[in-house]
Amino acid sequence: MFKGFSAVFYREMKMLVRRIGGLGYLFSGLLFPMIYLLAFGWGLGDRVAVAGGYFAYLAKGMLAITVMMNGFQQTALSVSASRFYYRNFSTLRLSPISDSAIVFGIALAGTVRALAAAAVIFIAAKLFFGLELLSLPGLVGLLLTAFAFAAFGVAVGLSIKGQEQFSIIINFFITPMTFFCGSFFPIANLPDIVRQVVQFLPLSLTNHLLQAGSFGDGTGAEALALLLLTAVVYGYGVYRVHNYSEF
Amino acid sequence: MSIIIENVNCSRKNRSILRNVSLKIPKGTVMGMLGPNGAGKTTLIRLISGLARPDSGRILVKGEEAALRSVAFRRLIGLVPQENNFESELTIEQSMVCYARLYGLPKPRQQVEKICQHFRIGGWRQKYPDKLSGGMKRRAMIARAMLPEPEILLLDEPSVGLDPDMRQEIWQLLKQLRSAGKTVLLTTHYMEEAETLCDSIAFLRSGQLVYTGTTAGLRQYLSPLRELSLDEAFVELSHGGDGRLVQEVG
Repeated sequence: MFKGFSAVFYREMKMLVRRIGGLGYLFSGLLFPMIYLLAFGWGLGDRVAVAGGYFAYLAKGMLAITVMMNGFQQTALSVSASRFYYRNFSTLRLSPISDSAIVFGIALAGTVRALAAAAVIFIAAKLFFGLELLSLPGLVGLLLTAFAFAAFGVAVGLSIKGQEQFSIIINFFITPMTFFCGSFFPIANLPDIVRQVVQFLPLSLTNHLLQAGSFGDGTGAEALALLLLTAVVYGYGVYRVHNYSEF
Repeated sequence: MSIIIENVNCSRKNRSILRNVSLKIPKGTVMGMLGPNGAGKTTLIRLISGLARPDSGRILVKGEEAALRSVAFRRLIGLVPQENNFESELTIEQSMVCYARLYGLPKPRQQVEKICQHFRIGGWRQKYPDKLSGGMKRRAMIARAMLPEPEILLLDEPSVGLDPDMRQEIWQLLKQLRSAGKTVLLTTHYMEEAETLCDSIAFLRSGQLVYTGTTAGLRQYLSPLRELSLDEAFVELSHGGDGRLVQEVG
């Protein structure tokens, strides 16, 4: 099922190493979380009352946003550019590698990219706000989130009919999750009706796992829900590759 | 037969691209697919390679149905698309190594070295594709497609946009492939290319196959009483003659 994914992963990583040399690429995924972290951390840090302190809360929220944005955005852009601009997605599609291995390889590369970006944010948060090491549920949450959004990026990259459609996903899905899923403040602060919806969104699950000290008190169920969501998104990515048609 | 195309229809956005196309390409032969722009040549190449699916009909490549894209099928086909599709972030050599790995070739670097020597790809393999001429890229693309040694090679306009010297070089490469017994299907606008390289030709017009046979047979078919140049034959067939619709040849 996954045979050959390492060849796809190798190809993606080779391209990533070359791209990462470009300042625009490096900063596009880091700039917003870093600005949010510093602006809200310095501006509101000692005025917001949250268990464990707002700096730590915000820093973890920024880690969640970083893996979401880098996992999704860079993967979706890379896949869609390989269809519309470089015309080399067909190289993968024609190779004797299964659709599931193609998605796994690309999503895994997206995961590495997202976690590397998160590591930079973590170091910044440690330096500026003394953030402590993450808990096990937090690490699991970050890993699953990175993979889920990278796989979603593959699916979106293959679904959109033009680059302009990409902004629809960003504006209606990614941006609302950035602000409402507990990265800046606990979702408990939201009105009931909004909270009922928001709590099931993937980034809310990630944030809850990141804020948890250990597994227990429902974090196991949330990790399972995130795992299930990851599997669904991955399956959708495989479906899109399977039905990919090039004219 | 290497490739059998049976009653293939294909449309997109309510526009018919291919209409009831049937064709057989024998093993070890080179067939040229000719036709004016928009005739459906590239679409047919994509259908044969499995990159797109027909609305109806089927395409068999050595008994494997193209639309199903089995692993065995994908190992049979090498595709050289019209446009340069090397990864812009990788050198030609890196791109070829990645390609070799995608096909699970053992010792990918050695395989790349071997194919580069065979196709006379020298030091410029260390360069990025945007630093290379169109001819170099085309040669590298053919070499890359041949890395896993596919039995069938599909080339979409292999010499378009190249200067005459480079075109001759590409022709030499394709002659080598013909000598090696590969089954080759190439699309082209150039009748001279078809006559030089191809054992047979097929002519597509507005998505319909209007001729299959040899270039000599085409001349005879269009104008049995006077000698037509190949370019005249192309124009004649593209426009269906002097108001006369050329009959379909299955």
